[in-house]
Amino acid sequence: MISMWSQFVSYIPDWTTFMQAGLTLLIPIIICYSFRSLHSMIKEQNSTEKRALSTDSSGETSGSKLAGDYKSDVELIKQAIGNNCDVHFREFIMGGYEVGATLIFVAGMQAAEHINTQVLQILMMNAEKDSKDNKSLPSNSELSAYMKQKLLPVCEIKEVVDIRDLNQSILNGHIALFIEGMPNALVMSMPNEKTRSITEPTSEALIRGPRIGFTEVLSENTAILRRQGRTENLEMTMYEVGNYLKRNLVVAYMKDIVNLDLLEEVKQRISKMDMDYFAESGYVEQLIEDNILSPFQQGQNTERPDRVISALLEGRIAILLDGTPFALIVPVTFSMLLQSPEDYYERWIPGTLLRILRFFAAFMALMAPALYISFISFHPGLIPTELAISIIEARQGVPFPATIEGLILAISLEILREAGIRLPKPIGPAMGIVGGLIIGEASVQAGIVSPFLVIVVAFTAISSFSIPMFSAGITLRILRFVGMLFAGTLGMYGTVLFFLLICSHLTKLKSFGVPYVTPISPFRINDWKDLFLRAPLPLMKQRPDMMKTQQKKRRS
Amino acid sequence: MCRRQLLNLMLIMGVLLTQTGCWSSFEIEDLSLYGGLALDEGEPTETEQDLNKQGGSYPRKNLITATIQIVPVNSFGSKSKSDKGHTAQYLNISETGDSLLEILRQYSVRLERMVIGHHLKVIIISTKLAQKQSMDQILDFVLRDNDIRPSCTVFLSEGKAMDVLEASRPGEVSAFRIQGMLRNHYRTSKVMKGVNLSQLDALMNSKRSFVLQNIISTKKDLEFAGAGIIKGETGNWIGSLDQPDVESISWIKGEVQGGAIKSYTEKNVPVIYEIKSMKSKMKAKVQGDDISFHVDIQSQGRFTENWDIKNDPSKAQFMEEAEKIFEKRLSQMIDSLMWKMQSKYKVDVAGFGECLSIQHPHVWKKVKDHWDEEFSQIPVTFDIKLKITDFGSSLK
Repeated sequence: MISMWSQFVSYIPDWTTFMQAGLTLLIPIIICYSFRSLHSMIKEQNSTEKRALSTDSSGETSGSKLAGDYKSDVELIKQAIGNNCDVHFREFIMGGYEVGATLIFVAGMQAAEHINTQVLQILMMNAEKDSKDNKSLPSNSELSAYMKQKLLPVCEIKEVVDIRDLNQSILNGHIALFIEGMPNALVMSMPNEKTRSITEPTSEALIRGPRIGFTEVLSENTAILRRQGRTENLEMTMYEVGNYLKRNLVVAYMKDIVNLDLLEEVKQRISKMDMDYFAESGYVEQLIEDNILSPFQQGQNTERPDRVISALLEGRIAILLDGTPFALIVPVTFSMLLQSPEDYYERWIPGTLLRILRFFAAFMALMAPALYISFISFHPGLIPTELAISIIEARQGVPFPATIEGLILAISLEILREAGIRLPKPIGPAMGIVGGLIIGEASVQAGIVSPFLVIVVAFTAISSFSIPMFSAGITLRILRFVGMLFAGTLGMYGTVLFFLLICSHLTKLKSFGVPYVTPISPFRINDWKDLFLRAPLPLMKQRPDMMKTQQKKRRS
Repeated sequence: MCRRQLLNLMLIMGVLLTQTGCWSSFEIEDLSLYGGLALDEGEPTETEQDLNKQGGSYPRKNLITATIQIVPVNSFGSKSKSDKGHTAQYLNISETGDSLLEILRQYSVRLERMVIGHHLKVIIISTKLAQKQSMDQILDFVLRDNDIRPSCTVFLSEGKAMDVLEASRPGEVSAFRIQGMLRNHYRTSKVMKGVNLSQLDALMNSKRSFVLQNIISTKKDLEFAGAGIIKGETGNWIGSLDQPDVESISWIKGEVQGGAIKSYTEKNVPVIYEIKSMKSKMKAKVQGDDISFHVDIQSQGRFTENWDIKNDPSKAQFMEEAEKIFEKRLSQMIDSLMWKMQSKYKVDVAGFGECLSIQHPHVWKKVKDHWDEEFSQIPVTFDIKLKITDFGSSLK
């Protein structure tokens, strides 16, 4: 018995092993806690600011009303916004009735001839004919109704009493009309906003597929969405966002497909958003995302209406912001970032092949330099002999270890790419030649880098270009550097560790409650039809399981 | 608050740094590979003797001289492509001692770059060394070492093994050349299927006798010439087989993938049979304590070369005659091998033992400890059938 016990004891490791095990256990715990505290710190700051601001804005909303007196009202407006050089006050006498009137508008935001023909001409001349029947103007309250019904042939017209409302609509391009004896102002809109024409989306070009892209005007974008197909189920809800400069935001979804909990969550997050100004849909994306610290995007931005509409049909939700051609699609899963609409437009075999190719390219964009470094610096036995010999020969006289060498080349490539975006278009190609050919060739000749690394880095760069989502490409580019550092310190072990780290992060990540790598990690076999493989269309009978849609079937 | 966060972060980084286990990166350009290893009996080379005279010595017995072929040669700076063909592509360096690992480490006092064994392709052992030391002893380190791959092929050399590594044309590495020559097995069965380290390990452990390809060399060239026999019980080299014997082993084992049989007609002019396919079936018969073997060899081939221009290959009679001639030649070859195996060396290297162990495992258990002696008494019969299917694209 005692001998058995002593034998048992002999197998218990000494205290250093336990110590090491304990320390190793501490690492994930510490990382987890520090990330959590960092996360909550950011969230806390956000919410405290919001409270302060909301009290501010509530005081502002109780705006004053128009007094009803023509002269003092116009004077009030003049005081409020009359200092602006582009706000025009056009005073005239209404023909026939001989009462004073003022037209207030911002120059350049309306079609001038419409003002002339549809407002001024009618009020100054046509009203004269009318006055012969009536002799006198209707009394105060009936005047505005009379104007709307009989005189002004304008589609969008409404009465406004609130001064703040009035000021804002004038500055937004509406025309305000004051008439002596009318207690309120009439606001008409004859917008003549300068917009660009609808062009092909430049950030997501396709060979086959519609050439239409969103523009900066929200109403046009929603109209484009409506024009994708006739349905009464496409519902769009308007929100006003921005505390200081206000903008419209539209949440679009299919009301009989979308998961209602998801819709509720999106709406709630949008109403919670708090920012003085939303310059681009990226603001929205960053304010409603789940994990701020993740390198992966949690909203897909796209310029393509066809992409948006097919996402809506899968049960996702689109967020469109005024002033930007980029719509946001939430929730996002990882596979979406590597899919292109063309996968569906082409037949399923080329679609599948291209998609698998893209997965491979994404893997290479992430891992190729890390693998190269770990092979070169740690595991020379894993390289085929002939290649090993020629690498040794080529690397004779290269002064830096592979990690530093890789970082030099990868960073200079990133600089090149960044510079290429900034440069005016005619210089762009010249830049590519100087950067790519001359620097690459010369640095090999000078012996700073080895030609193999140039191949690896160039291959990585090309791979990262093949990813259809630009922002997903950036993510992989950032992570590539982390991978290189891991490989440089721990070799293949580090590379595998790095890959596992990314995998574990991705499995934990959620976008609006939908797991990020969902058909893979919460395993859903039905959704695999549209993951690596793009199944033939007749086989894709159901909407994605992961979206938990109201309607499961795609077919009637 | 912020300072504490920073402190925490520093702590995490510190813990992380101490945790990382291996910082053992060796840049590939600081390493040199050795593609070939030649093992000779211990006899210090001239350079070594000079070095020893000046005090470059350590306590050792001169049992073994190991030569490694290092590729590529350390040539600093980029060399122009034109002189690549003229300078030697490798560096051979020898060291004598009594432990292979110690010898390999001893290179580090002579070379600036450390040598790694991952890419070792061929090991050549001189027959003189194999006569004195058992293969188990010689190859023990190579088999244990983690770097050296089990796919590395082992050869014998009747001359000095280090001369084989020297013998190469300019711009060529002999270790890689030998490895490439192994692929010619399907052109002629004079080239054996290479025996790699893992197969060798199994053969040595089962105490079976086996053959290893023999390499002979001159200053400028080298050649596969027959095979050397390693006796299973002792692990020593006991003798050689010539090229036809190596072919015969392949015929018996059924490993022939290509080659030719040359014979002479009555007029003493050569005719050639080109082997297209072959099958060999070995059968062990056991009656009481008597064991006998029967080998059935069948082959189809082409009548490829004919110096007997008077005879017309399109005539069936001539073809039948030719088949007989070739069969006779093959059976002569095999008989010569059987004589060498059963009478001269008393070993079984053609796989008879393996056949018996599969077909009659109980009988094998009884005889396996003294199989080589047992085998020399066992009658073996052969049935050889060669079939000429065609005579090529010319009638003449």
